[in-house]
Parts: sequence; C-alpha cells; structure tokens
Amino acid sequence: MLMAVKNQARCTFLAIKYGIVKEMLNRVSFITNITFMILNNASMLIQWIVLYSLKDNIGGYTFKEIMLLWGLAASTYGFSHAFFYSSFKLSDTINKGKLDAFIVQPKNVLLNAITTHVSSSAFGDLIFGYLMVFIYGFSFKLFFLFTFFTITGGLIIVAFAIILGSLAFFMDSSELIADNGNNLIVHFATYPDGIFKGFVKLILFTIVPVGIANYIPLQVLINFDIVKFLIVLSLTIFFISLACLIFKLGLKKYSSTNLMSARI
Amino acid sequence: MRKYFYIFKSNLIANLQYVSNIMIGFITYFVIIFIFTNLWEYIYSNPDKLINGYGLEQMIWYVIVTEILWYATGGRKLCNKISNDVKSGNIAYNMNKPYSYIGYSLSSHMSEAILRGVLYTIAGMVMGLVLLGPIKDFNLISIPFVLISSLLAVLINILLVICIGLTAFWVEDSGPFYWIYSKVILVFGTMFPIEYFPGIIKIILNYSPVYVTTYGPAKLFIDFSFESCLSILVAQIIYLILSVLLASFIYRKGVRQLNVNGG
Repeated sequence: MLMAVKNQARCTFLAIKYGIVKEMLNRVSFITNITFMILNNASMLIQWIVLYSLKDNIGGYTFKEIMLLWGLAASTYGFSHAFFYSSFKLSDTINKGKLDAFIVQPKNVLLNAITTHVSSSAFGDLIFGYLMVFIYGFSFKLFFLFTFFTITGGLIIVAFAIILGSLAFFMDSSELIADNGNNLIVHFATYPDGIFKGFVKLILFTIVPVGIANYIPLQVLINFDIVKFLIVLSLTIFFISLACLIFKLGLKKYSSTNLMSARI
Repeated sequence: MRKYFYIFKSNLIANLQYVSNIMIGFITYFVIIFIFTNLWEYIYSNPDKLINGYGLEQMIWYVIVTEILWYATGGRKLCNKISNDVKSGNIAYNMNKPYSYIGYSLSSHMSEAILRGVLYTIAGMVMGLVLLGPIKDFNLISIPFVLISSLLAVLINILLVICIGLTAFWVEDSGPFYWIYSKVILVFGTMFPIEYFPGIIKIILNYSPVYVTTYGPAKLFIDFSFESCLSILVAQIIYLILSVLLASFIYRKGVRQLNVNGG
C-alpha cells in the first residue's frame, strides 16, 4: 500500500516536472508570462488604493489586510493552475475522449489526468502572493501559515474544478458551466467577505467554497485561531474526498468517443 | 466594403446558433455586478451621498454599462485567435485572399461583438432595473448617442486588440500584452469614472483609450450632456482613425517578419 502511494507520488511529481520543463522550452515566453502576470495582479491594487481613499475600512479589513487577501487569492489560484492546470480542462478531456489515454495507464486516472499540463503564468500568481506577504510584514509564522493555506486553498479550488469538470460525465455542454463556476471562485476570492450578507455569505462558505479557501484562512493569518485552522484542514480533506468520489462515480459512465487525435 | 459585410453577416448567422452559450456567460456578468453592488453599497453608507459627483445608483449603472462594453468586445478570444493565426502560420491562408486580414478579423469579430452586446444589454438593463430602478433624471434623448458611442467604443477596442494580437509577429505569445491592456481598461475604465482619479492621472486618462472605450459611453448613459457628448464622439472618431492606421502599420511591418514552414 505504502509502496503504491510512493509510486503514485513519484509519477505525479514527474508529470509536473516534465510539464514545467516543457513550458520552459521557450525561456523568453516563460519569463514574460510570469513577469506580466505579477504586473497584471499588481495593477488591481490600484482599485483598492482608490477605494481606501474613500473609506478607511472595507468589509472589516484595512488596506494591508486586503493586500494579504489578494496575495492569498493569487497564490491559491497560482498553486492550483501551476500544478493542476488540466483539472480546469477536465470537461474537455472527458467530452473529447482524451481520458482513454489515462485509463490504460497503471496509475491513478484522476491524478494523471489533472497533472498533464502546467500553466507558466500561474507561477507569477504564486510569486505575487508571496510578495504580498513581504509587504504585509514578513514573519516565519506568517510565511509557513501562508504556505499551508496556499496548498489547502489551491487543493479546494482543484477539487471544485474536478467536481464541475466531472459534470461532463453526466451532461452535455458542461464546459461552459465549469468555466463559469471556476470563474466564480476567482471573482469572489478577491473581495472581502464583509461586504456580502445573508444567503450569499452562506453560499460562499458551502457550495462555492471561497470562504474555506480564502476568507477563513485570511482570518487565521491575521489572528491565529487553532479551531479555524483545523476547520480549514478538515474541510479541505472533505472537498478532495468529495471530488474523488464524484469523479469515480462519473468514470463508471464514461464511454469515450469516436474522435481520433494524436496526443503529443 | 460589401465583402466585409458578407463576412459579418455569415459570421452573425453562425453565431446565432450559439446564443445559449453566450447566455451561460451571463452568470459571470451577474456575479461581477452583484459584487460591485455590494461593494458600492458598503462604501456609500448614506445612499444620498455624492462621491466625486456621482451617487450610488449612478456608480452601479456605470459598472453595468462598462461591463456590457467589456463583455461585448470579448478581447481575449480575439487576441488569442490572431496570436494563434500568426503562431500556427494559419495567417498565410488569409494573406492570399482578396481581402485585408485586419478587415476580415474586424468584420468577423464585430458580428460576435454585436450579438453579445445586444444580449448583455438586455441582461444588464433588466438587472439594473430590478436592483436599482431607473436612473434619476434619465434623458431619453441620450439613447441614440449612447448607442453610437458604444458602437464606436467596441470598434476601437477591437482594433486595439487586433494591434496587440499582431505583436505575435515579433513575440511568440501576445497574451501577456493583452493582460496588461485589459487590466488598464478594467481598473481605470470599468470600475470607476475618470473623476475618481487624482490630478495628473485624470489628465492622462482623458487622452487614453479608457476615455473612448469605456468611460465615454457610460458617462453619456448616467450623466448626459450635449457638451460631453460632442467631446466624447470627436475623441472616438480620432481614436478610430488612429487605431485603423496603427493596425495597418503593425500588420505591414509584421508580415515581413513572417516565415511559415510547410507541413
């Protein structure tokens, strides 16, 4: 059992490594993508500079705390897209019968299917997130907590993408629904939870798990709370398990397609 | 001109088959408007308060209009298409046809933009009326001017995106340049009117694409006056001419760099 896990981990690590090597074939493009993504994220801070010139406190957060929120939103997005980019293309993989190539391999189908590609620009998001930690005020505790929540948040985003992507097993035209659903997380994650009320807030902590990926972690980063820390950890495990279960159920319905294509 | 109209028409007919796909995109649009409604309601703790000359309703309507223009343009898709045409060598198939590549890209994308614009306008107006009700002192005379200004705004935006896409002749991926362009338009144009920015930035923005692609039509919609209408339309016509010239210049320079291998 332990050997199988070790083998799978090695296989996943190699898939990601070769994905990165492939992206780095054109170094200029790779570096441009990362640099421009950092600038792209930084430009959004102008919005908050303007807003904070109108009010000192927005949604219960100061300007520095909002920068940390942006940093966490960018790093969770970056982590999920840098290492599990294919999870956001899962609908396409299923609809076009590309899953065949993974089913015949003696390794975990889901893990193999979601680690085939990496996104170079997502490394820019990751770097931007850590830059925000330095601007907020670096400490080792903050650094480790931020890294921990980057991983948990990133995995929640990946789990959400797998759930939406797996809709392709059960219905046609699920690609647009998955794209829109994945966009929801990005849009909500970059605004403070304090501006939302009632039912919407409930949705953000349940069906669209932005609250668990970003809002609660931000509260823990500002004021450490072991209970909230454990809630995030257990809900991350729950969402990953749910995503694996839905994918497994869907896989039983998978019947490939007659589309012929070369996998390069 | 007739051939471009036929390209426009045939693409419009093709796009009409995918209306439901466009409508699924309303989800993201509604979410953005919803977030901004919450944000501005939080900032305008007193709904009657004016900030930089704008009230709460005007600010939300401003975002509704600018987001319609943004979604109608669909710049990312166009930029990717042009960039991929250049990268894959597909552009070679368009070069030997009896039309200009820029004219072809503009007319084919314009059909999609107009269809999306109409659908998003309906969605945006319904959402605005349900959430906020009509704008106080709305001037019905402004409607034709807002429509003309919006059409010009989308045209200019598409031409500028074509210019960015054509940079793929020199750099492999023009995507990063589009990110920066889109963020400039989003941050300075769709979220706040130009009046929200201080001194020198305000002056620069008055001469930038932000003024003609987003601020202009939205300003006419929420706060119409014939003086501002005249200055916005004149600025848009100047920008339209300049962006056509710029796109032609970049294309002519870039096409000399092209080296397509067979395969």
